[in-house]
Amino acid sequence: MNTESRKRALRMFFDKLVGPMGFKFTPDAELADFLLEQEVTLETRHGVPFCPCQPIRHDRSRDMKIVCPCIPFHRRHFDAMKRCWCGLFVHQDVTDPDSLPQVPAKELGLE
Amino acid sequence: MKVSMYTLSTCPWCRKTKKFFTEHHIAFDFTDYDLADERTQERIMAELDANWASGFPYVRIGDQVVEGYRPDRFAELLGIGSGAT
Repeated sequence: MNTESRKRALRMFFDKLVGPMGFKFTPDAELADFLLEQEVTLETRHGVPFCPCQPIRHDRSRDMKIVCPCIPFHRRHFDAMKRCWCGLFVHQDVTDPDSLPQVPAKELGLE
Repeated sequence: MKVSMYTLSTCPWCRKTKKFFTEHHIAFDFTDYDLADERTQERIMAELDANWASGFPYVRIGDQVVEGYRPDRFAELLGIGSGAT
């Protein structure tokens, strides 16, 4: 499977998963495309589509928490930001993703 | 003021962070965590863990640390206008 077809497959798969969690793909199409491409690269390299913006620690229990979509493992943090850390997904009511900064969980009083 | 950062080659926010400092003509050092050797990765993770940080970009400006792409915070610490979105 080439990169473009794998990106389409991941998009279809993720779309079904994140909707019931109250999220959707970012309306920033260019960002979504770039992030999906990075995930395909990471999947090719490591076997799973890790988040492109969080570190792989080579510790299975921790690394499983950054497999996309990693929303369930960071639910309070991402709900507070209305986006996931990399920004591939945003809350369903978000129309301007640029207005949502990355804010560490500790600054939100969540850790 | 010394600026250094840990980044990921796959992270668009890390790229935006580098672009921010480049466009403001502020020299910085960076290490792409995912392209670093195992020993360097362990050292970086130890530093992030010590600061309760978990995501990239991870930026040190002087003795302050900023986690994430935060142009307003970068500008505040540098004493400049952000000029970025």
